Amino acid sequence: MSPRNPTEDLLRTLAPQVLGALVRRYGHFDLAEEAVQEALLAAATRWPSDGVPDSPRSWLITVASRQLTDLLRSEQARRRREDRVARWTPPEQWLSPPADRTARESDDTLVLLFLCCHPSLSPASQIALTLRAVAGLDTRQIARAFLVPEATMTRRISRAKQSIRASGIPFRPPTPDERGERLSSVLHVLYLIFTEGYRELSDPADRTDLVAEAIRLTRLVHRLLPEDAEVAGLLALMLLTDARRPARVGPDGTLIPMADQDRGLWRPDQIAEGTALLEATLPRGDVGPYQIQAAIAALHDQAPAAEKTDWAQIAALYEVLMRLSDNPVVRLNHAVAMAMSRGAEAGIELLDRLELDQRLTDDHRLYAARAHLAEMTGDHARARELYEVAARRTTSLAHQRHLRSRAARLPG
Amino acid sequence: MKYIIMLFGSQRDYDMLTGKAGDGVAWSAEDVAALHEFMGKWNNELVESGEFVDGRGLSAPVHARRVSLREGAPVVTDGPYAETEEVLAGYTIVETDSFDRATEIAARLARTPHPAGTALQHEWYVDVRPLDGPPEPEI
Repeated sequence: MSPRNPTEDLLRTLAPQVLGALVRRYGHFDLAEEAVQEALLAAATRWPSDGVPDSPRSWLITVASRQLTDLLRSEQARRRREDRVARWTPPEQWLSPPADRTARESDDTLVLLFLCCHPSLSPASQIALTLRAVAGLDTRQIARAFLVPEATMTRRISRAKQSIRASGIPFRPPTPDERGERLSSVLHVLYLIFTEGYRELSDPADRTDLVAEAIRLTRLVHRLLPEDAEVAGLLALMLLTDARRPARVGPDGTLIPMADQDRGLWRPDQIAEGTALLEATLPRGDVGPYQIQAAIAALHDQAPAAEKTDWAQIAALYEVLMRLSDNPVVRLNHAVAMAMSRGAEAGIELLDRLELDQRLTDDHRLYAARAHLAEMTGDHARARELYEVAARRTTSLAHQRHLRSRAARLPG
Repeated sequence: MKYIIMLFGSQRDYDMLTGKAGDGVAWSAEDVAALHEFMGKWNNELVESGEFVDGRGLSAPVHARRVSLREGAPVVTDGPYAETEEVLAGYTIVETDSFDRATEIAARLARTPHPAGTALQHEWYVDVRPLDGPPEPEI
């Protein structure tokens, strides 16, 4: 990504507010989104030389409204050619209060997020649309983050907008009945953006930093919904996980597992912020999966050395997670935590039961965990065999190298 | 995840496709047009679905050059393949939610139109392989 400048930061903060104001007033989410992108582009080219207007938000709304009028006119002309009656009122004929008012900025941004993360859209569409409409990134930046051609990303975004248009999802907050499920959907999309960025080992020098975007968006949601414990939990999880980023990769570009990382490289400010968030949130008692995962991340981050990790507490937290959802990877992590706190045998017994879970049959993580526990018991021949099985099952060469080096360093 | 779908062909396949008279079945202009139309449609569907990443066809194997080492020095050989050796003829890279989805996309190629009697009828195959990528993050 190009170096951030104050204009760009301001524009990206205003983007969802301007879009929200336009959609609330005129509808036409798909065209309004395009109009806002045009207005942002106009501002990005003119403000640096002409100076930032006194009310940048009003300026953007005015320019975007004009752009939307043009788009609607050409749309109407097109529809007339198609012999369909178009029913819309050009913005200048509206008698309602102007779109430019501040009372509902925060509502608008939230409603926009609910819309972009609507469960009827595919994950790829939800992610692309959220990054464009709410984070204010342009298509080129999003395409570069995912290493796909711009045309592909353009299609993902326009498909998402078509779906919204076709399903007639209204631009309003979800009803109280829907709200829980719809917010989970928003948090899941933010989590996916985070993991997509976190998966990258190399420094995103010329690529959009999705980790930074995910954290920025989650901070925004946390500001808008300060009372929501799971939003705070997700933000804490991201901060506490990203705190370890500087220590994850060795000088030769290989992945370093947490146990072997140089903890002096972890970012103390992020650990402090994530921990403080959790300490303020957990006592409220409205505990969900993101808070628990964040609590696990905090226990790892707070251990001054790998062998000082509070595995008993981590195992207990995984037990809570298992009660919330039946996820085989959670059960796998729980087995490893049990082995670390009560001895390898306890973990091996749990892994044997997991062996029967169809969802994990081909997953290298199951064999890597079994290898690790076999190593703990001192059965090096069995561990070597299992590391090799795991190595053959992962599609990542870096991971393969790591698993084989674990096998190679076993004595005997 | 990103996957590469690879298509293979021999110099002989290329020759038949481009209408070389010989022992094989030559493709007529209509056959070739039907092939191009089919491949174009297959490709466009991927662009439309937002799954297309990249795709190319390779020129005939006869144009291949191989650079190898002989006594420590690089030596260039022209057209190193036998007439019937199957080599990479084209590839498409897709980004899909699952390996199964990428496989399903590749399997559609089994319906590629071809004149009766060509190799496509009996020993046709494509390969689907995951691209190397970073491992699952430790969260």
